Amino acid sequence: MESEGAVVAVTKRNTLSASSLEMPIKRVGAITLAALALPGVMTTVTHAENPPEEGIVTLRYQAYKDSQPGLDRIKVNAPSLYLSAPVAGVWSIEASVVQDNISGATPRWHTNISGASQMADRRLAGDVKVTRYFDRAAVGLRVAHSDENDYRSKAFAIDGRFSSTDNNTTWMGGIGITRDVINPVNELVIDERKNTSEFLLGVTQALSKNDLAQLVLTHTRGRGYYSDPYKLADERPRQRNQSIALARWNHFIEGNDTTLRGSYRYYRDTFGVRAHTAQLEWVVPVSERFIVTPTARYYTQRAASFYFDPIYDPIVGEPFPVGNPKFYSADPRLSSYGAITLGGKFEWRINRQWSVDAKYEAYEQRSAWRLGGSGSFGLAPFRAQFVQLGVSWRF
Amino acid sequence: MKRKIDRSSLRLLLVIALLVSTLSGCAMQPPQPWEKGNLARKEMTMSADPLDQAFTQHIYFSKESASGGYGVGGGGCGCN
Repeated sequence: MESEGAVVAVTKRNTLSASSLEMPIKRVGAITLAALALPGVMTTVTHAENPPEEGIVTLRYQAYKDSQPGLDRIKVNAPSLYLSAPVAGVWSIEASVVQDNISGATPRWHTNISGASQMADRRLAGDVKVTRYFDRAAVGLRVAHSDENDYRSKAFAIDGRFSSTDNNTTWMGGIGITRDVINPVNELVIDERKNTSEFLLGVTQALSKNDLAQLVLTHTRGRGYYSDPYKLADERPRQRNQSIALARWNHFIEGNDTTLRGSYRYYRDTFGVRAHTAQLEWVVPVSERFIVTPTARYYTQRAASFYFDPIYDPIVGEPFPVGNPKFYSADPRLSSYGAITLGGKFEWRINRQWSVDAKYEAYEQRSAWRLGGSGSFGLAPFRAQFVQLGVSWRF
Repeated sequence: MKRKIDRSSLRLLLVIALLVSTLSGCAMQPPQPWEKGNLARKEMTMSADPLDQAFTQHIYFSKESASGGYGVGGGGCGCN
């Protein structure tokens, strides 16, 4: 959510010269506005109070691969396409489409469970967003759709933002609803539903000529089917409320023209999960056209209240919870653990219109990495790699 | 009935208090209109690469319990 758009609006009117990294300042403003207008495809709300001055098309190949010692795991290949364009001076339209091609074996989550099932799936998702710009304000409407053979999701959202007279502060708000229909191939349930409502409030503040900070609070109310139909002994509550606080801070270092981008997210839900996420990126322009961005992320979560550590019995087989609890799940995504991501991005701005980028990240989960307590028992080592290759054209 | 405040909530309050105090109490001077060249850089935007963020958050959504916080209306999927 780029509520610093107001800041850019002022910048476009001044006559400052750009640094060595960028082009002339008008160009910087145009590119920034285009970036501000990007919808985030999945979750991001835009906050520019000026429509983009140019269009942009991005084609990107995204890939993901699980990895466990000696085992083939899930692979995802996901080509995606994004388009943004100004319309009639006070409007913008943005659209994206992505296809996830998923194949391989599901992870062997627990060290004491040997089984892993083969699967293949394809997901097609897209969204369209229309934004109307006013003086120091903007309102956006967005629809999104995601379709796979056992899960269909539709979403609608409206967001708005308003800037102060000095354009140093931008307030934002948003409401979204999601309607999901679940039809697992094993027909454990038929036409199950999950309905979600989201409410967002936030503020972005230009703290100084080199510092931009943001605080966003989100509350989500969900009702419906949350269990995993492909897992044995999985019965979850039909209600899940989530509260999230996100703080972000970007700092430009004048001495070397690099930028530090930090964020912290606190998460809690009615499943009993508590999670903290901290991320740091360092944007380093190594020359006028080449930019390198190393990144690091740390994530830690407390287990859901109904998560149980599975104990595999060679006679009985799959683990079941002790006693007769109302809700139970051995899904390791609900367990206690920590995770670290390390990676980097490389961008080459070929000329005014064209740029290419590549990004690689390595991800690992370990129960021992949980912050403030021991992790769950018996989790198998889990690693993953993310790769992205993209090309962008501005017009 | 009084609701018990857990440690996580206290930590959240502490973080917000630190953030607010930093925003309001530090020596930073809000920029004048002619001082916003650095803030206009692409890398200073909160989501400089939304496609990247969408992909990455989608992956994390499928592997972790926590999700969201970056906007509304993203829609769901069967990956979690």
